[in-house]
Amino acid sequence: MDARRRSPFTAAVTLVALVFLFLPLVLVVLFSFHKTGGLSFPFKGFSLRWYRDTFGSFEFREALKNSAVVAVCVSVATLVLGTLAAYGISRTTSRLRGPIGLLFFLPITLPGLFIGIAMLVAFRRVELQLSLVTVAIAHFVYVFPFFLLIAKATLDRLDPALEEAAADLGASPFRVFRKVTLPQIWPILVGATSLAFALSFDEFIITFFVIGSDSTLPMYIWSSLRRTIDPSINVISTMLMLITLLLWVLAFVFTLRAGRGRARAVEPILGGEEV
Amino acid sequence: MSVVAHEAKESAWRSRELRLGPLALTLPAVLGLIVFFLAPLAAFVLYSFLTAGLFSVSGPLTLDAYRQAVSSGVNGTLAVNSFVVGICAASVTLAVSLPIAYWLRYAAGRWQTLVLFLITSTLFASYLVRIYAWRSILGENGLLNSGLERLGLIDEPLSFLLYNRFSVTVALVHIFLPYVVLVLYAGLQPLTPALLESAEDLGANAWKRWRRVILPLVAAPAATAFLFVFVLSAADYVTPQFLGGTNGAMLGVRVQAAMTGVGDWPLGAALSLLMLAAFVLCYGLTALGLRLLRLDRIRFVT
Repeated sequence: MDARRRSPFTAAVTLVALVFLFLPLVLVVLFSFHKTGGLSFPFKGFSLRWYRDTFGSFEFREALKNSAVVAVCVSVATLVLGTLAAYGISRTTSRLRGPIGLLFFLPITLPGLFIGIAMLVAFRRVELQLSLVTVAIAHFVYVFPFFLLIAKATLDRLDPALEEAAADLGASPFRVFRKVTLPQIWPILVGATSLAFALSFDEFIITFFVIGSDSTLPMYIWSSLRRTIDPSINVISTMLMLITLLLWVLAFVFTLRAGRGRARAVEPILGGEEV
Repeated sequence: MSVVAHEAKESAWRSRELRLGPLALTLPAVLGLIVFFLAPLAAFVLYSFLTAGLFSVSGPLTLDAYRQAVSSGVNGTLAVNSFVVGICAASVTLAVSLPIAYWLRYAAGRWQTLVLFLITSTLFASYLVRIYAWRSILGENGLLNSGLERLGLIDEPLSFLLYNRFSVTVALVHIFLPYVVLVLYAGLQPLTPALLESAEDLGANAWKRWRRVILPLVAAPAATAFLFVFVLSAADYVTPQFLGGTNGAMLGVRVQAAMTGVGDWPLGAALSLLMLAAFVLCYGLTALGLRLLRLDRIRFVT
């Protein structure tokens, strides 16, 4: 239906930008298979030795496990609390709707640095030992607004007549949610939960301040960055990108499924009405 | 009778479940955010008015930390660096994203889904991995220098690529570009290709279509995206730490050092709150500017 316009300039910019976006990432992946430890051209041939080294490392497996545990806890908590909150705020007529919506949105507007140090100070004040628990709490605060925006935007778009009809026919509120609302929104919830997982899995800026002596995958990369170049950092970077990319594909597929057209694919990220 | 019963039941359902009920569902999240977000922020503001010990604070309330933060010449230099890097990163990102968003919306055709997917997929490349990648590319023995040498284009490594404001800006643009493209692409949604064609039919040339139709529409999302990149760049403490060297050091690194290295919490808190105040001022000025230019409520009736 849309006529395609010719625009060589913008097409060229897009192409250059795609190369700019992908080249650094592709190089990291390429050099994770490098035969020697060097990170410079010429490329001397392929080998899996850095993968063997990395997976043999106890520190790496520990960091991977910690990241996964935290991300699972954070995404489950976000799914449950986020869905409840999004449904509540989308269906309420109370005057508190505005202030609560603002509270839910606020963490997104603050740079991670500020959230991280505020939490560090607060955890120390109440003498809560810094650990993976404090990391999970911090990640929840960071991830929650993203999930809420997506879920709320989806709920706001549903036709209220369906829920009202079910209620008029005598269904309890819980039954209305389970039989009418949930079937319409679950793909978006799966997509948003994958996003929450990916955000937590990759979080560094806040984590740095609240982690204590444990390690996560991003923390592990950070400490290798500070040491001299260890070639296994390419492998760890590749693994981290692969895992988050898989989650993103999952989120994309589920939201495409939920959406009607191609333009909707980006909607869950933006969470806006006018996408 | 049955009608009355039905109505009574309905109104009970509405008053109980639709007013009080739904709000109760938000309670766990509200409590969570009050305890773990608002309370820490409040504590943090309070700390900026206290006196520092080593990783501890003591009373009484004082403005010493703020005085210390403002009087230091180093902090002034770092603040300028943060500001310059933030403005550069935001400007470049926006300038590159506008054509991309335009292409995606009006010229991409069947490539649209694929390119959108590719661009959004780079969102998920880890922040630290990007910093690492750029350090590997721009370094003296890095991929760019070794590649250029190999091709015989240069004799000795270019040293101006890394450890300055330039390298920090490159990495930040790389990090924020996908977000800004998405925001602008979303901003262009209300402007259908048909509307653009009408402008063309009515005699607007390419420049006029940009100036009179597209730019007013994307002004608000573009300003939001600009601020988003500016704030997150200026408050970054990891990118300058690894790519900035001495020339590209930024205020965020100072805050981080105060909090975790030196243990001077009031100074770290005061510095961050001053940054926050500057950011809020930027938000306000932008909102005011959009308002004065009457760009804040342009809507297309569709």
